[in-house]
Amino acid sequence: MSTDTIDILRRAEAPIHPAPESFIKKYIFSVDHKVVGIQYFIVSGLMILLSGLFAEAIRVQLTGPHNTFLTPQQFDEAFTFHGTLMVWFGAIPLVTGAFGNFVMPLQIGARDVAFPWLNMFSFWTFPPAVLILLSSLAFGAPNAGWTEYPPVSLQAGVGIVFWTTAVFTVGIGATLTALNFLTTVIKMRAPGMTFTRMPLFVWASAVTAVLSLVATTALASALGSLFLSHVFNVPFYDPSRGGTVVLFQHMFWFYSHPAVYILIIPVFGIVSEIIPTFARKPIFGYKLIAYSTVSIALLSFMVWAHHMFTSGLGPWVTMPFMILSMLIAVPTGIKIFSWTATLFGANLRLTTAMLFVLGFLSTFTIGGITGVMLASVPVDWHEHATYFLVAHIHYVLFGGTLMGVLGGIYYWWPKVTGRLMNEKLGKWHFWLTFIFFNATFLPMHFVGLLGMPRRVAYYDPAFHGLNLFISISAFLLAGAFLLLFANAFWSLKKGQAAGPNPWGARTLEWMISSPPPHYNFKEIPEVYSTPYGYGEPLPYSAPYNQVSTTPTY
Amino acid sequence: MAHQVNNIDFRRHLDRSFWSVTLVLAVISAILIVLIAIWPINDTLAVAATSDYGIDALFKFMLFFAVPIFVFVNGYVVYFARRYKHRSNEPADAVGIPLYGVVPLEIWWTILPALLMVVLGVWSAITLFSLYKPQAGALNVEAVGHQWKFELRYPGLKSSFYGDFYLPVNRPVTMNITSADVVHSFWVPQFRVKLDMVPGMVQQLHFTPTQVGNYPLICTEFCGIGHGDMRTTVHVVPQADYDKWFSGTQQQVAKAAAGASSLNLAAGDAAKGQAAFEQKCSVCHNMAAFAQKKVGPGLQNILNDPAHPKLVDGSTATPENVAHIIQNGYTGDIGVMPNAQANGLSSSDVSNLVAYLKSQSK
Repeated sequence: MSTDTIDILRRAEAPIHPAPESFIKKYIFSVDHKVVGIQYFIVSGLMILLSGLFAEAIRVQLTGPHNTFLTPQQFDEAFTFHGTLMVWFGAIPLVTGAFGNFVMPLQIGARDVAFPWLNMFSFWTFPPAVLILLSSLAFGAPNAGWTEYPPVSLQAGVGIVFWTTAVFTVGIGATLTALNFLTTVIKMRAPGMTFTRMPLFVWASAVTAVLSLVATTALASALGSLFLSHVFNVPFYDPSRGGTVVLFQHMFWFYSHPAVYILIIPVFGIVSEIIPTFARKPIFGYKLIAYSTVSIALLSFMVWAHHMFTSGLGPWVTMPFMILSMLIAVPTGIKIFSWTATLFGANLRLTTAMLFVLGFLSTFTIGGITGVMLASVPVDWHEHATYFLVAHIHYVLFGGTLMGVLGGIYYWWPKVTGRLMNEKLGKWHFWLTFIFFNATFLPMHFVGLLGMPRRVAYYDPAFHGLNLFISISAFLLAGAFLLLFANAFWSLKKGQAAGPNPWGARTLEWMISSPPPHYNFKEIPEVYSTPYGYGEPLPYSAPYNQVSTTPTY
Repeated sequence: MAHQVNNIDFRRHLDRSFWSVTLVLAVISAILIVLIAIWPINDTLAVAATSDYGIDALFKFMLFFAVPIFVFVNGYVVYFARRYKHRSNEPADAVGIPLYGVVPLEIWWTILPALLMVVLGVWSAITLFSLYKPQAGALNVEAVGHQWKFELRYPGLKSSFYGDFYLPVNRPVTMNITSADVVHSFWVPQFRVKLDMVPGMVQQLHFTPTQVGNYPLICTEFCGIGHGDMRTTVHVVPQADYDKWFSGTQQQVAKAAAGASSLNLAAGDAAKGQAAFEQKCSVCHNMAAFAQKKVGPGLQNILNDPAHPKLVDGSTATPENVAHIIQNGYTGDIGVMPNAQANGLSSSDVSNLVAYLKSQSK
């Protein structure tokens, strides 16, 4: 044998890439997509908790029609921070940064994302952005809601400068992550994994990356113009000096409508992974689900003005936006129907992860239906900016995104930590969440239709009873989350070892040990088919076809 | 993809049990649809204007298809979850049927919702255009949003006024709306109309009030700390009552215009001023040093504060200039304060308040 061949063999035996040994390189400035994913999970999880506390403060204030728990000023700051933290610092980094980073490269059989150092950099734009935003609380916090429409947002103090800077900074990370993920999905799939053999979560991550990449620039313009207006008194939004107030709304929603899909499409992916795993059968209509994701993304760029039906665009501008918004119901319906049909003829395992996904099917359907109602301009004229809208957005983002994310947490927890969670505690968590979620947000539809606007610290005493009921439900809903924390701690201390594939799933991340080794795959697997062929041999090259697909939990 | 064939006989799962559940779900949907059809929306939320133009009918139509979608998705999820649950006597590696999709079904659930959306879209568009159609002989009223009150202008009134206003029943109204400062919104739930009051832009709302009564006018676009209290009342009254109100308002407006210039600061009563302060001003101001801010600064020593020889608007700290700020409100670097009219302060209240502030300045 030539020395070359010996060398090659030796390299094949040795670890592909030595794991970093210093604490800082391993856990702080790590370039490993799995560590970056966990970092995103921890920071965005804390932001969601903080945002939840702001929401509970809002609900305390609204237990009475003229409570003095918060001053109007503090109340406005509370709902501004609730929305801002939830959207940009909680949910988006959670579904893309945490789930996308940890799961997507494993599912395509890659050893890391395309640009690992850039991935680390993306994450490290995030904690400074959090600090900038939170420090505004000490300098006159922003208080015009997460939408920060001018001119009212410009009346606030210097807080708005912190706000624009913080959101801009977190947007840099989101754009770079999108670039990274898109390159990874296009260039780094394992041999044989054609686009139509990709797991549906990978489809979702790729489409989300396109949305982030295109839309975030519009957000940058909106934030930049707000910053310049406040700091240099540029009259973008001062009509007395030739400015146009509605311009901001166009730029803001050109980003923020696709952002709704940045929040929900990865969750469609999570749901599409969990359902076949626990139904023990192929997902119904793989291609239609994948293509409907793409069509939702395309349509999402053509419907931004449906947030502005009362802003004065006139009938000829609002009409096309209205009809395109309604058409989004078609691909969304396809998904709901396909997921439901996947349960038909299944051999169903009702684990906690699966329960959350079934709960998602129920609550997200309501969010979708009220979305169609709000898309119809004449009906929107009555419902816009009332609690009906608040109910709709929470059925989509809590009943949709968060329900799916909770399912995803229970599903991938054993892969990340190597330990199982307690199913009994998990099921309690699910039922309490599901019940109190509906008790909190369902009555909001009625309060809104009857005439209660959103973002008010005081309200008509006629709505006192319903608001008190909503608030009590919201406190109990928050309480249900304690079970999740208890479960996580229990699992880390006493949880049963998970093994590589506790659920008997078939996507690639389950074909390696839990937690996955550094550099994931010693050899790059070859892929022969879609991953969802339950009852058939695994479609991967050896040794990745050796793992048992019998559930072991 | 040779293995992705649909030759498994899924039809044996379409058995009696499946069709019975389907029938039950269909019956539940039908009952709910009938209940919605006979539900008088008017009882729950009164309609008091023709601007309804079938908005409620559209809403009901959407409930008609929302109900079966909701009932069938939830019903099948629960039914499948019970029927296909893994039993403990089955082997641990048992799997479901290898069904990858049913193309005709997928085509149907793409086309049918698309058709439904087209019908809804066309209906909504027709309704939408009717909302923008002006009525002949309409009463033209102007409404201007301010932080945090509605200013009304009527043809025939020398100047505008704030707060409650009247409309004659059964006469078409064209409401011309705009804003003086930030974006507000004009919403009367019983009229089913809402449009934003956008600074630098005038929008028109067309409606005809059809029911005598008092209805809330609510701001629904967040507009600052007073947003929650930015509401007033629309009184829809018979023409005779409207005429009476109109002539009364004409006189009031004239009197108010005269009164504003005749502020008598010398007649101010500090004790009455203190009562007014505690009732109104103390929501935002402390009677303490300037730095003791609530929403606005603390007001103790306002007329004799060496650290702040000037008032917040840059004028010298004199009783007249303090009165000017209370009267006209303030917008500037440190925030926004509504004017006397929005705060519900009469000119004697202003004099009393100045006297009180004087007594608190050493």
